[in-house]
Amino acid sequence: MANTEIPLVVRDLHKQFNDTPVLEGLSLEAHEGDVITLIGASGSGKSTFLRCMNLLEVPDAGEVIVHGEPVAFQTRRGKREPADWRQVERIRARLSMVFQGFNLWAHMTLIGNVIEAPRHVLGLSKREAHERGMALLERVGLADRAGYFPAQLSGGQQQRGAIARALAMEPEVLLFDEPTSALDPELVGDVLKVMRELADEGRTMVVVTHEMDFARDVASQVMYLHAGRVEEAGPPSEVLVNPESARLQQFLGPRF
Amino acid sequence: MMINLHGYGPRLLDGALLTAELAVLSLLLALVIGLLVATAKLTRSGPLRAMGTLYTTVIRGVPDLVMMMLMVYGGQILMNMAVDHVNALIGTNAFIEFNPFAAGVVTLGIIYGAYMSETFRGAFLAVDSGQIEAARAYGMSGWLTFRRVRFPLMMRHALPGLNNNWMVLLKSTALVSIIGLSDMVHVADQATKATHRPFLFMVPVGLGYLAMTAISELIVRYLKRTFDVGFDGRQA
Repeated sequence: MANTEIPLVVRDLHKQFNDTPVLEGLSLEAHEGDVITLIGASGSGKSTFLRCMNLLEVPDAGEVIVHGEPVAFQTRRGKREPADWRQVERIRARLSMVFQGFNLWAHMTLIGNVIEAPRHVLGLSKREAHERGMALLERVGLADRAGYFPAQLSGGQQQRGAIARALAMEPEVLLFDEPTSALDPELVGDVLKVMRELADEGRTMVVVTHEMDFARDVASQVMYLHAGRVEEAGPPSEVLVNPESARLQQFLGPRF
Repeated sequence: MMINLHGYGPRLLDGALLTAELAVLSLLLALVIGLLVATAKLTRSGPLRAMGTLYTTVIRGVPDLVMMMLMVYGGQILMNMAVDHVNALIGTNAFIEFNPFAAGVVTLGIIYGAYMSETFRGAFLAVDSGQIEAARAYGMSGWLTFRRVRFPLMMRHALPGLNNNWMVLLKSTALVSIIGLSDMVHVADQATKATHRPFLFMVPVGLGYLAMTAISELIVRYLKRTFDVGFDGRQA
């Protein structure tokens, strides 16, 4: 089946929070090397959409398929939930997430953060994980900070460390949830630079972001969400340059 | 200078040892109960939460002394009933004798488990949920997340409260003298009654407790350093 080649497919996701619909039938296909950016106003459902992809939120309806393997759901007491949490854990280990708030583990050093999941989830030896981790810290420019705790690092350093942590899993897809929104403006550039490099080397990425320059320069596809639906989607050269929908034109502002 | 303890010295030492054993074992039991009940109270399951709340409400609302007396007078009766039931069921004729030491450990464990559970519950709630979420997002199981992330982060918040509960627990071990155990207070009380020298016996007992709390203070200080890693500006 050709479908098994696609790293991440989500189909027709629906989600409500307390009877308020948040996602109303969202779908996405992330092919190898795709960089899909999700844009939209806050409340448009883009973060929830992303969080459904690794099951941090359980969609009320719809499918999540990772490399051809669909997540199994069951309904218990009227609530939909994954049928097998082990399967979910296995799938999560293949889709690394980078959070808005970094969420580095505060009681572990930077290198400790990077090797934690490779060691305990993937089962790498300490030596193997450490080598991989140091190479990644080198790459995000933090090798000299390996022994620091998160509290001793700037926001930008923490986020680059979090990206190293994500890469250490050698994931098939990287999920970014507004990775630069919590950063001081002068620190955003370093993080975006690392993300551009990842895109250039052909990583499959789904990125929720407000950084329009990043979306324009790097994305293979831009999806503009409004009220839990895709209002407009396509390559950035179309969607961001000649937006059709009036809402998107307004969202992008006079600059475009 | 030699203090004449009228021959009660060895018994006082035995009493101190009993106090220490009782306190440490009760502490371990209380910690286990506290963790379990705190977890129960934090689940989404209604019945588990209700049971946890009932437990802490009842235990914390009844004096330790009353609990201990219930154990003394009710313990053997309840145990006999249970054993008879089993005997009738499987046709044996067993009898289990009431063990005051075990009863003391269980009673203190149950009482302080309630206080520990509240300390743990608050501490769990104080942990940054984003860090738990990150653990789950990287494929860690619930248990792995607990062991590697939730527990160590929680302990930093729990430690002062646990230490406080432990101090009170240690001193509450004196209650076991009413179930016939010769802890150091019990020995000192008997010695005082026999010799009419209260200061001679009660002052060493007080110092004994002080020595135990001093030692535990050192252990707590070490634990504090352990769980403050990453938060107190120290380098790795």
